[in-house]
Amino acid sequence: MKIILTVIKKELKDTLRDRRTLFTALLLPAIVFPLMFMGMTKIETQRAEDELNKELNIGLLNAPKIAIDEFESDAKIKVKNLKDLKTGNALVKADSLDAVIVFQTDIAQQIESTKPGELTIYHKSIDAVTYPRLLEKISLLESKIVQQRMQKMNIKTEVLTPFTLKDVDVVSANEEMGATIGAIFPIIFIIFCFIGCMYPAIDLITGEKEKRTIETLLTVPSSRFEILIGKMATIALIGFLSAMLTIIGMFVGITYFSDSTQKIAGSFTEIISIKAILLLFGMLIPLSVFFAGLLTAVVVRTKSFKESQSVVTPLTFIMVVPAILALSPEVKLNWQVVWIPVYNMAVAIEEIINGSISMAHYAAIILSLCVAAFIAAYISFKQFSNENMIVN
Amino acid sequence: MIEVQNISKEYPLKKAQQKKLNTTNTAFSAIDNVSFTCTPGRVFSLLGPNGAGKTTLLRIISTILKPTSGDVRVCGYSVKDQSEMVRGKIGFLTGSTDLYARLTPEEIVKYFADLHKMDTRLFKQRKEMLFDQLNINEFAGKRYGQLSVGMKQKVSIARSLIHDPDVIIFDEPTSGLDVITADNIIKLIRQCKLDNKTVIFSSHIMSEVDLLCDDLAIIAHGKLLFNDSMEQFRSLSDNQSLTQTFIDVVGTESVEL
Repeated sequence: MKIILTVIKKELKDTLRDRRTLFTALLLPAIVFPLMFMGMTKIETQRAEDELNKELNIGLLNAPKIAIDEFESDAKIKVKNLKDLKTGNALVKADSLDAVIVFQTDIAQQIESTKPGELTIYHKSIDAVTYPRLLEKISLLESKIVQQRMQKMNIKTEVLTPFTLKDVDVVSANEEMGATIGAIFPIIFIIFCFIGCMYPAIDLITGEKEKRTIETLLTVPSSRFEILIGKMATIALIGFLSAMLTIIGMFVGITYFSDSTQKIAGSFTEIISIKAILLLFGMLIPLSVFFAGLLTAVVVRTKSFKESQSVVTPLTFIMVVPAILALSPEVKLNWQVVWIPVYNMAVAIEEIINGSISMAHYAAIILSLCVAAFIAAYISFKQFSNENMIVN
Repeated sequence: MIEVQNISKEYPLKKAQQKKLNTTNTAFSAIDNVSFTCTPGRVFSLLGPNGAGKTTLLRIISTILKPTSGDVRVCGYSVKDQSEMVRGKIGFLTGSTDLYARLTPEEIVKYFADLHKMDTRLFKQRKEMLFDQLNINEFAGKRYGQLSVGMKQKVSIARSLIHDPDVIIFDEPTSGLDVITADNIIKLIRQCKLDNKTVIFSSHIMSEVDLLCDDLAIIAHGKLLFNDSMEQFRSLSDNQSLTQTFIDVVGTESVEL
C-alpha cells in the first residue's frame, strides 16, 4: 500500500506540473468550459431578446386606416406608406425595409361589406423575426375587424369562445429539475471524466515509454501490480476531479453568471438533496476507475504520445454514444438497462435527481460499473505485465 | 555476485517478420545459452557489436525481461522466482533511459528511495553523501528537464546508487555523453569496484573496457564467444591492438565499431 501511495503522490505531483494535463483535465472543465457555456447562453439569450425588441421597418401599400392605425400604435414598428410595390421590393432587398405588406386595392370596401380581403407579405425568409411578428400583428388586426363586424351584427363576442382553458402543471420541482439537468449531466459526467482520464493515461503510461523512464522504474523492488495500481489510481482521481470540477464550475456559472437560467439556479440548491449528490458521485468513482483501466489497456500498446492520441480520440466519441442514447424520452431505467455500464449511469442520473431511483437499481448499476472497472484493470495489468508491451 | 546460468531469450516471429528476415524459423534467438559469473570487487565487461544481445542480457539480469530458459542468480536470488528481491539488490544505470523532466533531482532521488522502501534517516545520509560527491546540491531544486546532459547523468547516478546496491549494472553508460561526463562515469565504476560491489557493464568501446574491466565476456548474435579475465584477453592479442583481437573473436561480419 505504501508503494501505491508513493506512486500516486509522485504521479500527482508530476501530472499537476504538466500544463497540458492541467489545462485539459482540470482548468478546462472547471473554468473555461462553464464560462464558455454560460457566455454562449448569455449571448444566445441576448440575441433572442434583441430580436424580440428589434424595431421593424414595414412598408404598407393600399393599407386601410384600421391597419395603418394598428401598425402605427406599436412602438416597435416603424411604418412607411408606399406608392408602388417595385419601390417596396427594392427596399426589402436592400434591407432598408424588413417587409412590405400589400393589401388588395379595394380592401376598405371589402372590410366594410364583410367580405374577405387579400394581403401579401414580401419578406426575406432568412430573417426569422419579422414574419412571425407580422403574423401576430395581422392576427390582432383580424380580431379587431371581426369584433367590429360582430358589433354591427349585434352578436356577442362570447359566441366565439365556447371554452376558457386553464393550464395546471402538476410536475414536481424535482421532476422538472431531473428533466432539465438530467439531460446535461450524463454528457458532462461521461465526457469530462473520460477526457480527465485521457491525458494522464497517455502521460503516465505511454509517456514513460516515450521518455524512456519505464525501464528505470521497472528495476525497483516493487511489483508491477503496485506500480500499475498507483498509476491507475492517479488517472482515475484526475478523471473524477475533472468531472467534479465541471459540475461545480457549471453550478457556479449557472448561479452567478447566467440570467436565463435563474429558475434552475434558484431551485437547484433547494431541490437537490445531499443524498442525490452522494449517489451521483458514488457512481462517478467506479466510472473513473473503469475509464482509467480502459485507457491504460489501450495506451499501453502504443509507443508515442501521438500514436496514443490517435487511438484514444475516437474512443471519446464512442463514450458519448451512451449519453446521447439516454436522452431519448422512451428510455427508462429497468433490469435490462442497469447491467450496461456507462449507459446505465447516463439513464439513472435523471431518476437520481428527481429522487425516484430504486436503491436496488442503483446497487446493480454500481455493481456493473465495479465489474467493468475490475475487468478493465485486469486487462491493463495483463498488458502491463507483458514485456513486449512495456519495453520498446 | 551474478551467476548467469544457461540463459536463452527468444522472441516469437510473426509471418511478416519471417518474410522480412527471409527465414522459416518461428522464433528469433536474441540470447543463446549464455553462462558467466561476475564476482564482487571486480568489474565485468560485456562486450559485443551492436545488436549482439548485450542490452537484452542486462535487462534479464535486472528482471525487466524474463528469460525463455535458464536462470540468473543475483546475490543468490533467482530473477525468475525472486525478482523483487533481485531488484532490491541492483542499481541499474543506462545511457538510453531518462528521468522525470518535471521533478527536481531531490524529488526524483526521494521517489526511488521510497520505492526501495528506505527509511528516512538512511535516505538522508545516503542522499547527502551522494549529492556532495556528485556536486548535485547546487541544482538539486531545479527541474530535471532544465538540466544539462552532465547534470542529468549525475542525477541518474545518484538515483541508481541511493539504496546502496550490492550489484551495479551499467548498460552502455557513456553512450552519447561528452568526454567530461563520460569520465565521471568511469570514475564511478572504479569507486564501485573499490567499494567491493559487483559491477557489470556493457560497451562496444574497447578503450573503456581496457581501462576498467577485470573480467570480460564477448557476445555476438546472442552467443557467448569469449569469457575470461582481461589478462587472458590481452594475451590473445599477440602484439596487435585489442580492437583487432575483438574483431578476430567475433568475426568481421558482426562488427560495426
